[in-house]
Amino acid sequence: MHQPINNDFLQKAIGTPVRRLDALDKASGRAIYIADMKFDGLLYARMIRSSRARARLLQVAVPDLPEGYYFISSKDIPEGGENRLYMITKDWRVFAEDTVRYIGETIGLLVGPDRNVLRDLEREIDISYEDLEPAFTIDEGLAVKGGPIHGEDNIFAEYHLKKGDPDSIFSGSYRIIEDEILTGFQEHAYMEPQGMVGEYKNGKYVITASCQCPYYMRKAVAGILAVDQEDIVVSQAITGGAFGGKEHFPDVIAGPLVVAVHVIRKPVQIVFDRHEDISFTAKRHPSRTRFRTAIDENNRIVGMDIDIAINGGGYQSCSHIVLQRAMFSVNSVYDLPNIRIRGRAVATNTFPSDAFRGFGAPQGIFACEMHMSHLARALGMDDAEFKQQYFVQTGGTTVTNGTIHEEVKLPEMLEKVLKASGYTEKNRLYDREGAAKAVGISFYNHGGGFTGDGEKEIIKARVRVSRDQNHKVTIYVSNVEMGQGFQTTACKVAAKVLGIPLQDVFFQNPDTSVVPNSGPTVASRSMMIVGKLVERAARQLKNTWNDQGAVEAEEDYVQPPGIEWNSTTFQGDAYPAFGWGICAVEVAVDPATAEVETKGIWTVHDIGVPIDDLIVHGQVHGGVIQALGYGSLEKLEVKNGAFLQNTFADYIIPTTMDFPAVESDLVENPYEYGPFGAKGMGELVFDGAAAAYAAAVQKAVDRNICSIPVNPELIMKLRQA
Amino acid sequence: MQHITFILNGEKQVVNADPSSRLLDILRDTLGMTAVKEGCGEGECGACSVLKDGKLVNSCIVPMGSVQGAEITTLEGLRDTAEGENIISAYSDSGAVQCGFCTPGMVMAAAALLRENPEPDEQEIREALSGNLCRCTGYNLLVKGVTLASERGKEKGIWQ
Amino acid sequence: MAVSYVPATFEEAVRIRRETGAVPVAGGTDLMVRYRSPAGTLPDFPWPVMFISGLKEMKGLFLEGVELVIKAGTELAVIEHSEIVHPVLREAVRQMAAPALRNLGTLSGNICNASPAGDAVCVLYALGAEVELTSSSRMRRMPIEHFITGPGRTVLKGDELMTAVRIPLHSESASFYRKVGTRKANALSKLSCTGFITVTENRIADMRLALGAVGPVVVRSAELESQCIGMDLNHFRNYKPDLRKQFAERVKPIDDQRSTAEYRKETTLNLIDEFFMLIEKELS
Ligand SMILES: Cc1cc2nc3c(=O)[nH]c(=O)nc-3n(C[C@H](O)[C@H](O)[C@H](O)COP(=O)(O)OP(=O)(O)OC[C@H]3O[C@@H](n4cnc5c(N)ncnc54)[C@H](O)[C@@H]3O)c2cc1C
Ligand code: FES
Ligand code: FES
Repeated sequence: MHQPINNDFLQKAIGTPVRRLDALDKASGRAIYIADMKFDGLLYARMIRSSRARARLLQVAVPDLPEGYYFISSKDIPEGGENRLYMITKDWRVFAEDTVRYIGETIGLLVGPDRNVLRDLEREIDISYEDLEPAFTIDEGLAVKGGPIHGEDNIFAEYHLKKGDPDSIFSGSYRIIEDEILTGFQEHAYMEPQGMVGEYKNGKYVITASCQCPYYMRKAVAGILAVDQEDIVVSQAITGGAFGGKEHFPDVIAGPLVVAVHVIRKPVQIVFDRHEDISFTAKRHPSRTRFRTAIDENNRIVGMDIDIAINGGGYQSCSHIVLQRAMFSVNSVYDLPNIRIRGRAVATNTFPSDAFRGFGAPQGIFACEMHMSHLARALGMDDAEFKQQYFVQTGGTTVTNGTIHEEVKLPEMLEKVLKASGYTEKNRLYDREGAAKAVGISFYNHGGGFTGDGEKEIIKARVRVSRDQNHKVTIYVSNVEMGQGFQTTACKVAAKVLGIPLQDVFFQNPDTSVVPNSGPTVASRSMMIVGKLVERAARQLKNTWNDQGAVEAEEDYVQPPGIEWNSTTFQGDAYPAFGWGICAVEVAVDPATAEVETKGIWTVHDIGVPIDDLIVHGQVHGGVIQALGYGSLEKLEVKNGAFLQNTFADYIIPTTMDFPAVESDLVENPYEYGPFGAKGMGELVFDGAAAAYAAAVQKAVDRNICSIPVNPELIMKLRQA
Repeated sequence: MQHITFILNGEKQVVNADPSSRLLDILRDTLGMTAVKEGCGEGECGACSVLKDGKLVNSCIVPMGSVQGAEITTLEGLRDTAEGENIISAYSDSGAVQCGFCTPGMVMAAAALLRENPEPDEQEIREALSGNLCRCTGYNLLVKGVTLASERGKEKGIWQ
Repeated sequence: MAVSYVPATFEEAVRIRRETGAVPVAGGTDLMVRYRSPAGTLPDFPWPVMFISGLKEMKGLFLEGVELVIKAGTELAVIEHSEIVHPVLREAVRQMAAPALRNLGTLSGNICNASPAGDAVCVLYALGAEVELTSSSRMRRMPIEHFITGPGRTVLKGDELMTAVRIPLHSESASFYRKVGTRKANALSKLSCTGFITVTENRIADMRLALGAVGPVVVRSAELESQCIGMDLNHFRNYKPDLRKQFAERVKPIDDQRSTAEYRKETTLNLIDEFFMLIEKELS
């Protein structure tokens, strides 16, 4: 009944779409996610969490537990084990002890066979606190309100960048235009909530998890039990969306879980319900970016002084790396002279912020794009016209004084977007009519892979590809399929190299006892970096294809030549190659209600070469709509340290009705060191749409927009001002 | 606890359940119908969509007390029919499936729509799927998938 | 754990209600959500409940004299698709939630939930709907605005069930309905506004305005409406600023997780202005 997989891509371009390998299983409901799995003697766990943002933890009074029920806390960590998750740094505690730093911090796990009983027991747990004065905002964190949460000054990280000679510019007498741009929290809202099951099997702790980074998890929890990383096996379950939310955060669940399994030695499941998932998981970092831009008498930018601060919440996790990306992205696609950037990641008593598609870049790019559009308005120019004067070119210099090595196709892309959207004519017409309508535009790029020499020095990816006696090929990597299509695209790469049908290539969900460490599924690196290794391993395999018996090939990461990076001074090529994008959004603002209707969305991206056109367009559509949610609907406020919009009734993500179809176009620009010319794209497609939307509304209501989400409440306020 | 009798995917079922328990839990935990997903438990996301007496409902907010005598269809009961296969393969061929967690609900919503309206336009499709959240696809390809299911289904005479 | 009942007939339902005070669950779209509890556990009802959605006697809608009778258990989707229902009510129902939810939720659930943001409730205020309450011993009828006394509060007695909503047939010259939700679909209201204007011989014969989610209950003022009766275009134009001011005094929204008081007030007044423009158009 179902058509077989179409292998046309073997003859035609690799991008020729195939039906995804996982599609039928998922669409028919046969795919088994973590909450669907059956385990003998399964116990359930409820997380017992802090209800206070900052307090001394005086006492945790647990009622007498019936037989077969357990309360697991820091006291259960075995001797020699640490009450710390080893993420990037070892700061996030497995269980709170003595103090709590944010609402939702794990205090213990309540474990047992009957979920109704667990719920009743949970209510009887009585936790007493002595409240301390919390700091919630970036400013409160910087002011060390209530005393330091981290170090002396609440600064998780502070970095400085300099390009050109900003000091001479800012001591001069240029016209200075100042700006402050704010972005808020964002919830990942993957449709499958966080979940995992821990077991003790054959002397090993086996965690089956909805996650992005099996090897990260292994590393994060081994030290808690004082065991070798090899004693922890992480096996990825089919993952129902992640977007960065299943990068580090699952470690926060896995930590207490392995302690429970250590004590109980039975399978234990933790699956969050939606309310828990919104209230008590990491979010995108809120940011505040201040600009002071020097303009000369010809209305040209001669220097920019930028100060970025992001809210890291109660623990550092990866805030310093997110901050780096925000800083490296804060000049977007422009080659501007004389830049000074200060960045700070600030500790507060909100839920720790963590990875989210874009990883700091969306914040940096939104700030830059809005500021540039404010400059254009101040100088009486159109956004697109003003911004394109500063487009970086091949050989141009980045904010880290690195070089753009690749061909920059922005002018060609701009032409396409202008044509498709009717940007110029529509804006002229709407302006003349005085209609509250406009087309906004944004420009953005995203470096693929880890920053600088991270791939070479930290990750050191390895992949293995094997061929069995029956000439079936299996790809062994630690990167996961989480919806983005990597399973299919990785198999396409191998199939294309080997000239065999896609049906003969297999890719299993990674299990750390089986696959080599090809690194985490993050940073838009899976296809560009790991896919390249798959391509190379497949080529190697091809040479031994006719050998007897099973054969296999391994490949290790090699840094492309010509990349210079100093990881202490942050000087050089932060990324080997970039994806590029332009987005235009047309809006109409309702005069009475300030509701915005989005009339059209147009994008053009340069992602090198698409490995599958349909998968790429799917990523574009999904990323753009998620970014439009970020820019318009997804308000997430903190009140007394708790997220106020903590259900899907109140945390508003886009439905089918909120935005029209995205018209997505690509320009090809093969990247020599990517598989078949592919570059990273998973995050790129998120980076720009919020700014295009805000710029459109800004034009329509003729007021500067400095923050997202741009909701009717904000627009109403701006109109009154 | 009470005996509750209903038809599940064409077969009579008698379960002993508290009438206030959620249909979703009974389907998933007691009857093993794991194609029905829990995305929110509050009626907002549609991942738990099933048909009750032929109508699309969110099983996470249907109490078993409302199921007595009803006819329930889950994706398990639809996927091997011509109607179900048509939608499943149309979504799959359109690139409408990414992480897949919303997809079973999207299949049920499309089935409910196409039964009533075998040739929906884009707006009608968007309305019919408006209670089903998807965070991955941005909905474009889902809408295309329903259109494809409509075209193919018409050729095959599925709704005659 | 709360006791729960599944009555097989309406008689049984009123009897259980009288004997146990069990709270009726109709579609459950409010109650099952409000008292939800983690996966695999029972909802956390603080009182006994009874599930009444299977009661055939409580379903259906029909015309009776000058009224449309909607029985209490009738699902929103049925109302949305019924030709005999006032188009503005149908439109309001169509804009509620999403298709699957409208197959479950009921009109009486929306009323008994007594949320000032209940979308159907706002229209029912403007239509002058009455509710019918039945116990094993008596039946009473009252206007909806007497039934709802505050957010989540009604005068429903412990032994009563709502059995029907009775809506006087209304034909106006023009109508106005706007819901401002948190997004374009599947959204709860930040505010809503229903207006009806009837003009005979260039004078206002009837004017009604109901405002949702801008106070503890839906705002409608018989006093202000009746002042408009008989006005012609000029008269209305002169009176309009004053009328707007008086409505403004009755609009007292709050800040919550969905919107701000400021936005609700400003937008409601803008919508009132739009409705007034419609009135002027009808008068000229
Ligand atoms: C995802 C979602 C979206 C929603 N969107 C909207 C929206 O857009 N607009 C809106 O207004 N509402 C919305 N709601 C709220 C809800 O769906 C409506 O209020 C619906 O009309 C409630 O009807 P029900 O039958 O499901 O109520 P139930 O939950 O069954 O009952 C609600 C209340 O009414 C009482 N009750 C019900 N029937 C009777 C009776 N016959 N006699 C006495 N008391 C009775 C119950 O005891 C309870 O107190 C939404 C809810 C959800 C979950
Ligand atoms: S799980 Fe039922 S609607 Fe989300
Ligand atoms: S495909 Fe992931 S939520 Fe829809």
